[in-house]
Amino acid sequence: MGEVIVITSGKGGVGKTTTTANIGAGLSLEGKSIVVVDADIGLRNLDVVMGLENRIVYDLVDVVEGVCRLRQALIKDKRYNNLYLLPAAQTKDKNAVSPQQMQELTVELAKEFDYVIVDCPAGIEQGFKNAIAGASKAIVVTTPEVSAVRDADRIIGLLEANGLKNPQLIINRLRVDMVKRGDMMNIDDMIDILAIELIGVVPDDEHIVVSTNRGEPAVSNNESIAGQAYRNIVKRILGEDVPFMDLETDQGFITKLAKMFGFVKKR
Amino acid sequence: MSENAVVFKGTKEGLYILIKEDMDLDKIKHNLNDKIKPSKRFFEGAKIVNFKGKKLTKDEFEELKELVENDYGMSVLGDYTEDPDMLSDKEESKEYTQYEKLPYDNVVQDKVLMLRATVRSGQLIEFMGNIVIVGDVNPGAQIKATGSIVVMGTMRGVAHAGSNGDYGTYVAALNLLPAQIRIGDIISRSPDGLGVRASVPEMAVVKKGMIFVEPYLPNR
Repeated sequence: MGEVIVITSGKGGVGKTTTTANIGAGLSLEGKSIVVVDADIGLRNLDVVMGLENRIVYDLVDVVEGVCRLRQALIKDKRYNNLYLLPAAQTKDKNAVSPQQMQELTVELAKEFDYVIVDCPAGIEQGFKNAIAGASKAIVVTTPEVSAVRDADRIIGLLEANGLKNPQLIINRLRVDMVKRGDMMNIDDMIDILAIELIGVVPDDEHIVVSTNRGEPAVSNNESIAGQAYRNIVKRILGEDVPFMDLETDQGFITKLAKMFGFVKKR
Repeated sequence: MSENAVVFKGTKEGLYILIKEDMDLDKIKHNLNDKIKPSKRFFEGAKIVNFKGKKLTKDEFEELKELVENDYGMSVLGDYTEDPDMLSDKEESKEYTQYEKLPYDNVVQDKVLMLRATVRSGQLIEFMGNIVIVGDVNPGAQIKATGSIVVMGTMRGVAHAGSNGDYGTYVAALNLLPAQIRIGDIISRSPDGLGVRASVPEMAVVKKGMIFVEPYLPNR
């Protein structure tokens, strides 16, 4: 029985979809079998980010409505073994499925895959409720912006209210130079507010833009610092104890932070 | 209510008497009388081209003709005819006339949905017949027709022609860059990668059970 992880954020544009694609690809590189599920019905993107848009014939709504079998709707990734995508419908909206149906669907998927990763839509309405319905674990993505952190806080509250205790946090698009100058929220402040376990910090990286546009997850790109960050996140999901990257900070605040959370052995 | 059972109608060819279809002969006669009596002078000597509207039997025609000619002093020029055209009183809606036999047999006269718009992501255009889009179709949009699809712009979405299983349909576009083309139950997807394609008008057809994309104006 696999694990169902929902990637959520509340705010839009913080990198849920990119994170989903990269974690999915990363887990696949680690030899796990994965299905990534796009729960963003009506505004689907995960297929585009993964470069699989032209392969979509059936989608999640077709499966739920019984138009096709689950197997028929799953799209095999073109690069990674054991990575499958269940795309969202684009011509429908969030009300096309119910949380009950999503839960049944994820249970079905979890029987066959090691990990089911659900890409949650922005917002806290029907789409969010659908996405978290079958999840047993949640990862909250935020960026170092006051608004994103505020929304992440709201989402963590909603997740806990829905029985998803102890969500984990990914801080995305951190710009170390700006943090150094004090122009960007630093990680400590965010952890202070959100008070959940940090599972990764992804630095702002041009490679992500390129890879997203090309439909190739950055996780396999060794030159990409964000790709490295995603590889570390994947290892942490798998339960490995990986030290946080030193993002060229002399102060080593991430290391300090990591120490605080026990990811790095104290020297 | 029987007021309009009979109508006089002037056309280029002359005067017609239009008769409502569901009227019996007595009513028609009565109505004619009512109409002509008050202005008998005016109608005297008028030339009637023919009767129109109701399908008359030969006997009915003769009876009416006699009535109009003898009682009211008008003359009916036309002869009795069973021509179904006489049933129609819409001179304005000229039927499509084929002046010369067209040299091809692939002339289609099905229903067509004409759409002057950009079809955007998430929009699904579905029609029983052919679809012509005057505009672009963006990625994430879907066009589904039981007939053929013509896009007078760039086709970037999913096109599904012959959705009832007709392999004889096609997808044509000024710039054919679809994510997917489906004709009948055959599906083909665009090649991966950002390949640069010559932007000549192209069409997708089924040949030997596969979808082929080729320019339909080879000399462009």
